[in-house]
Amino acid sequence: MFYRLSGLYHTRYASARQLWPITADRWQVGVLLVLAVAAPFLFSSFYLTSYLLPWLIFSAAALSLTLLMGIAGQLHFGFAAVMAIGAYTSIHLTRAGVPFELSLVGAGLMAALIGSVFGAAALRVKGLYLVMATLAMQYLVDWTIINVPAISGGAQATLQAPATQFLFMPLKSDAARYYVALLWALFLTLLILNIKRTSVGRALVAVRDKDYAAAVIGVNVVHFKLVAFFTSSFLGGVTGAVLAFCYYQAVTPEQFTFNVSVQLVAMVLVGGLGSVIGAYMGAGFVLLAPIMLTNFVVYLNQLGWLSVSTNLLSHIPLMIYGLLIIGFLLLEPLGLGKIYDNIRKYLLVWPFRHSGL
Amino acid sequence: MKHLFKRLTLAGTLGFALAATPAIAKDPIKFATPMDFTAVYTFLTNEYSEGQRDYITLINENGGIDGHPVELSVSDTGNQPQRGIEAYNRAKRDGAILVDFLSTPVARAMVNRVLEDEIVMIMALHGRGDASDGDTFPYVFPLMATYWSQAALLVDHMNESGGGLKGKKLAHVFIDSPFGREPIPVLEELSKRLDFTLKTFPYASPGNEQSSTWSEVRRYRPDFVIIWGAGGGQAVSVRDAIRNGIKPEQIHSVVWLAEADMDTVGRDVAKGVRKFQAAASGTDTPVIQAIMDKVVNAGKGAGPKENVGRTYYNIGVATMAIAVEGARLALAEYGAPLNGEKLRKGLESLKDFDAQGLIPTVSFSNEDHQGGGFGRVAHWDGEQWAPLGDWHTSFQDVVWEEIRKGAKGYRESGQ
Repeated sequence: MFYRLSGLYHTRYASARQLWPITADRWQVGVLLVLAVAAPFLFSSFYLTSYLLPWLIFSAAALSLTLLMGIAGQLHFGFAAVMAIGAYTSIHLTRAGVPFELSLVGAGLMAALIGSVFGAAALRVKGLYLVMATLAMQYLVDWTIINVPAISGGAQATLQAPATQFLFMPLKSDAARYYVALLWALFLTLLILNIKRTSVGRALVAVRDKDYAAAVIGVNVVHFKLVAFFTSSFLGGVTGAVLAFCYYQAVTPEQFTFNVSVQLVAMVLVGGLGSVIGAYMGAGFVLLAPIMLTNFVVYLNQLGWLSVSTNLLSHIPLMIYGLLIIGFLLLEPLGLGKIYDNIRKYLLVWPFRHSGL
Repeated sequence: MKHLFKRLTLAGTLGFALAATPAIAKDPIKFATPMDFTAVYTFLTNEYSEGQRDYITLINENGGIDGHPVELSVSDTGNQPQRGIEAYNRAKRDGAILVDFLSTPVARAMVNRVLEDEIVMIMALHGRGDASDGDTFPYVFPLMATYWSQAALLVDHMNESGGGLKGKKLAHVFIDSPFGREPIPVLEELSKRLDFTLKTFPYASPGNEQSSTWSEVRRYRPDFVIIWGAGGGQAVSVRDAIRNGIKPEQIHSVVWLAEADMDTVGRDVAKGVRKFQAAASGTDTPVIQAIMDKVVNAGKGAGPKENVGRTYYNIGVATMAIAVEGARLALAEYGAPLNGEKLRKGLESLKDFDAQGLIPTVSFSNEDHQGGGFGRVAHWDGEQWAPLGDWHTSFQDVVWEEIRKGAKGYRESGQ
C-alpha cells in the first residue's frame, strides 16, 4: 500500500535495473532532494551551519569509508589521517594559487597515493593486523603534520582556508559552502550506489567475503584491494578538503586525531556496513546525538529538573549516548540502515506479513 | 524513579540557577562558556569554570553590572571543534557577547568566526598567542601572559636568581605537540642573548610515560629545566625529573602545574618546584574573600568548597573579573545594550586593573590584548604556592617579535 508494486511494469532491463525501481522510493528521494536543495531558505543559518553542513560532510566521509570497510571489507582505523592529508594538501595548493576545483582533485590524489601505500599492507595482513597497520598510518601522519612546520603552518599550527571560489561561486556565504558540501555528498551517494551494482562492486564484495574464494573465481585480489584503498582514500581526501574549506575554515592537527578516526568507524558501524542510507544515519547519530543530548540535559537543568554538578551533567549525555549505541546494536546488529530497511520491507508487503520470497 | 529524582535534586547545589537576584530588571549581559568537561582539558575545566561561575554569582549578588545581571551559560564541547562550532552558533543566536572555550583546538577554529561576527572571545592561557596583536585580532583577547611571555619570564627568573645564566645549560622538556613547541623560538632567541646552551627534549603525548626522555635529560646534566606540558603529564615530569637527580628548585614549569599535581608527586617530595603564576592562588585576596562570604558560605557556590582558592579556580575568577570590568567600562562609556564591539572597546580601555590584588596590574589597548604579559614565579613550599618576587614582565620585545610574526602569517594566510 505504501510502496505500491502493482502497476509497475518493467519492459526494459534499464528500467528494472534503475537505482530506485519503485515509485514510492523515487518520491522519497525526490522530496529529500528538494528539501536538501531548499535547506538554505528553509532553515536559519544556525541550523544550517551547526547541524546540516557538518552532517552532510561527515556523511560523505562515512560514505568514503564504507566503500572500503563495508563493501571491500578492509578495516581502516586511520581514516581521519586520510582526510587530514586531503585537507592540508588542498589548503597548501590553494594558497599556492591553484584553483579550488583543481586543488580538490590534488587533495584526493595525494590522499589516495599515501593511503594506497599504507593500504599495500592490506595485501599481506587482514583483520586486526590491518587495523594495526592503519593505526600506524594515523600516528605517522599526525606526527608528520605536527613536526613539519611547512605543513602545519608554523608555531600556531593553524592554517586558515584562503578565500576562494567554486565554479565561479565565491565560497563566502553559508549557503555557498553548504551547496558545495551538498554537491559532493550527492556525487558520493550516487557513486557508491552505482559501484555496488557494477562488476567492480561485485568483485570488492567477493574479496570482502573471502579473498581465497574470490581468487578462485578469477577476481584479482591484489588489484581490487588496491582499487578499494585508492578510491576510498581519494574520496576521503576530497572530503577532508571540503571539510576544511566549507566547515572548519581553518585546519589544525587536532581536527584529524585518532578520536575522529574512531568516530568515523563508529558512523559506519552504527549506520550499517556498506549501507548508503546507513552512512547518513550513522553520521547523523554519531555527530549530532551527543550535541542534542547535551543541549537536552542542559535544558532539563535550566528547568531545575536535574540539579547535579556540572561535571556529572557533562557526562550524563555520554552515558545516554553509550546506552543508545548498545541499544541500537542489540536491536539490530546490522545498523541503523538495516532498521530502515526492515521497516521498508515490512511496509512493502503490508498488510501481509511476508513477501513470499 | 521518584526516589531517584528526589536524590538528584537534593544531591547538587546550584548548577545554572545564577539569576537569583529578582530585584534586577535591566537586560542581562550574556556570556557563554562552552568548554571541555569530558575529554582533554578535564584537569582544569571544573575548577576554572567553578571560579568563573562563583565570580559571576558574586557580581549578580551585588546587583550586577550597573544593574544588568550577567548570564553565564555553561556547556560541554568534549574538545571537539564541531561541537564547539555548534555551541558557538547557539551562543551567537542567543545573544552572547563574550565566549570562552578553554580549548586550543576549539578556540583556533573559532578565530575567523568571532572576527566576522564581532563577538569577544577570551583566550586566557590557551589558543594562539599571536592573538595578542589587537590590530590583527580585534575580537580575541588572550587576557593573560602568553606562553611566550611565560617562557621569557621563567628564563629571566633563572637568570636573576641562579647567579646568571651565562654558560649554563637549560633543558626544555616538553610534550610533543604544537603547544609544547610554542616557546622554543623565544627560548632560542634568549639563549643567544643571554649566552646559555639550550637543548630540547620532547616526550610523546599524552605524557604518561616519559622515563626515556628523562634519562636523556640526565645525561645532558642541565643547570635548569623547563617542563612544558599540561594535565597528568606534568606530575610525571616532576616525578621523573626528581628521580633522575634533578633538584626541585631546578624545575621550572609552565603555568599548568597545580595543587593536584603536587599531591600526585607527593607534597614534600615536590617542595621547591617553581612555576609561572598568572594569578595569585590561595584565599587571601579580597575578591576571593568576598566570594567566600557572599557566594560559597551562603550555599550558592557552583562546586565543592575545597576548590575555592586553588590555582585554576583563581584563574577562572581572574578571567571573569577582567571581562566584567571591561563590560562595566563599556556600559559607562557607550551605554546599554552592550554588544561585542562595545565590549571590545571597553576591554581595550581597561587600565591598571588588578582585581584587588588577584592578578598583576594589567592594561589593555587596541594593539595589546595580552595586557602586558605580566606574571611571577612561585614555588611550592609543601603546602601552597608561595610567590618568589613581584609581578613583572620580561623580554617583551622578544615576545612581541613572535606575536607580530604570527599575526603577519595569519593576515597573509587569510588572503
